[in-house]
Amino acid sequence: MKIEKLFQKTRFGIFALFGMIVLSTSLLCIYTVDTQLSSEYESNTRNIAQSIADSSVDILLNRNLASLQSLIDQFVEIQGIRYIYITSERGEFLAHTFVPGIPREILGSDPSSTEPVERRIPGMGDFIEVGSPILAGVAGTVHVGMDMDIVALKIQRAIGQQVILISILLVLGVLASIWLVNLAAKPLGGLLDYAVRVAADPEKDGASEDELLTRDDEVGDLARLFRYVSGHSSGWKKPGAPTTRAP
Amino acid sequence: MALTRRSLLRRGAAGLLAICCSNRSKARTGIGGVFDMVVAENPGSGTGKEIPSGDEITLGVSAAFSGPSRGLGRELYRGAKAYFDHVNENSLLGHRITLKLYDDGYQPDPCVRNTMKLMLEDRVFLLFGYVGTPTVTRVLPLLKKFQNERVYLFFPFTGAQPQREPPYGEFAFNLRASYRQETSGLVENFVRVGRKRIAVFYQADAYGRSGWAGVRAALGEHGGQFVGEATYRRGQRFTSSMRAQVEILKATSPDAVICIGSYAACAAFARDAVDLDLRVPIANLSFVGSENLLQLLTQDREDPDSYTRLLVNSQVVPSYEDLSIPAVREYRQLMARYDPQVPADLAQEPYQPFPQSFVSLEGFLNAKLMTEILRRLGEDRGRAKLEEAVFSVQDFDLGIGEMVSFGPNRRQGLQTVYYTIVRDGRFVTLDDWESWLG
Repeated sequence: MKIEKLFQKTRFGIFALFGMIVLSTSLLCIYTVDTQLSSEYESNTRNIAQSIADSSVDILLNRNLASLQSLIDQFVEIQGIRYIYITSERGEFLAHTFVPGIPREILGSDPSSTEPVERRIPGMGDFIEVGSPILAGVAGTVHVGMDMDIVALKIQRAIGQQVILISILLVLGVLASIWLVNLAAKPLGGLLDYAVRVAADPEKDGASEDELLTRDDEVGDLARLFRYVSGHSSGWKKPGAPTTRAP
Repeated sequence: MALTRRSLLRRGAAGLLAICCSNRSKARTGIGGVFDMVVAENPGSGTGKEIPSGDEITLGVSAAFSGPSRGLGRELYRGAKAYFDHVNENSLLGHRITLKLYDDGYQPDPCVRNTMKLMLEDRVFLLFGYVGTPTVTRVLPLLKKFQNERVYLFFPFTGAQPQREPPYGEFAFNLRASYRQETSGLVENFVRVGRKRIAVFYQADAYGRSGWAGVRAALGEHGGQFVGEATYRRGQRFTSSMRAQVEILKATSPDAVICIGSYAACAAFARDAVDLDLRVPIANLSFVGSENLLQLLTQDREDPDSYTRLLVNSQVVPSYEDLSIPAVREYRQLMARYDPQVPADLAQEPYQPFPQSFVSLEGFLNAKLMTEILRRLGEDRGRAKLEEAVFSVQDFDLGIGEMVSFGPNRRQGLQTVYYTIVRDGRFVTLDDWESWLG
């Protein structure tokens, strides 16, 4: 006989508890990873823009635009950076990495702005663009566009890995809980079976009862107590009831 | 020090910048540190007195022998090899000249790796006949990094400014005219015949930007600016569509388009321009490889002139059809005699060489001047005397009617730009722009 009713609520409770832990941990993880990685990517983009701006001064002053293009071509190979353009102090485009041409959204923007801007460029995707002034802006501005899709993908991957880990722990925890509950339920089931048999025929003892009666835990104590109680009350009758054996 | 993504990114960025700007202190903490390590593993380096072993002088070449621009590397090699074969066969120098070849496919990173190998493992005497601006501009910082080695780059097949100006100009010697001169000449002629609305189609890299800057500067001298620009990524094939670029430029109603690209992409652009009814003169620079361009635009065409009627190409060597030029006669004779072929291991991709071409003529002239410089170097063939030998070249007659001179402030031998158009399936010299566009 299984002890379903007694442990049903326990299992449900464990499952609900683990679920709440997983849900809250995942939400916290998503928020933390998203916030920190977004901030880090933006910071990296800003650092790259600053690095290019710092190193562009001599090249710009020497009017060596081929070297300037070579410089930004190397940076645009860094994963996540989709475009770089450099404008002069008059807003003229001196070097860029756009193909087949400079998008209208870029042409129409303020070339001297260095504030982070989120852009949606048809055919290219969503970007966060960061600018950095060259020589305090008097020599121009460097603009670096980070692909938000790639950033989002990286963030999703990082979050996914953490959620998968937490989910695996949830499943393992629930399985372990069920196993542990079953471990406790099994001798109780045996005790119940024994109690039913003894009540039906106190004189009948089997080998399985020996195993139960020799246990040195609470189940063994209960079995021995039940046997003792049933042996002393075999002649007891409920008032008004017909003469029969307990229960 | 904790190794975070940010610190890694910063170190990488610092290294990249250091290579570009030769900021050596930064380079040691970034990518430049790799180069330091390689030098340490080659203790023989740094003397600046490397002497070619035995009777051979080995010149190191990294060029495009594969990929969409393979025609350039192969033709340049063939022209140079024809002359070097002539020198070796007739013992004109007293020493054999050999070429150590590597293929970079016209890509910067392989070119940098090849150059490291040539300098540090093969220990070639000098670098010769490189192809392309994006490749050469990435190699120049290496030459500066190893400046104690005094490894010079001779006669690269590019007209860009970085190897003609500080801070890298002192490590290279150029024979051909610059892109600035080519674009200036094209703009000058277009403006003179009333075609002032000029648009630019260019490769999105250092080569394209170099030509773009030349057009911009030339138009600036006439008080104008280009009316439109469109770009393409390096490595495009003739089968690529350039319709988007044509549409962008067509919307600006140009009178002429100047292309700064490789032959496959420029041919694709010329084809799509005609197909989309953008019927204006389309100019290409010498780097385009005129014969390769022409072949793509005319092969399998019912009307072979349909795509080439309005083509004009600038050249930095005279026409190989002009037999009145002594060097052209010599070139044709030696090309026919030796018919040099690219080594089989570099010729995996199919390619049908041209009996003559502007590119191979340039390679031929490069080799001829290189031989003269090595002759002037004499028996003391240390690299330290190489620059002196180059500067001793004054009013030297290469046989094309223009004297060649070098000096500390003159690191480019030739200055003349020629213009050619297509007539009867071949490029001929254009002398009269008014009549052509009249």
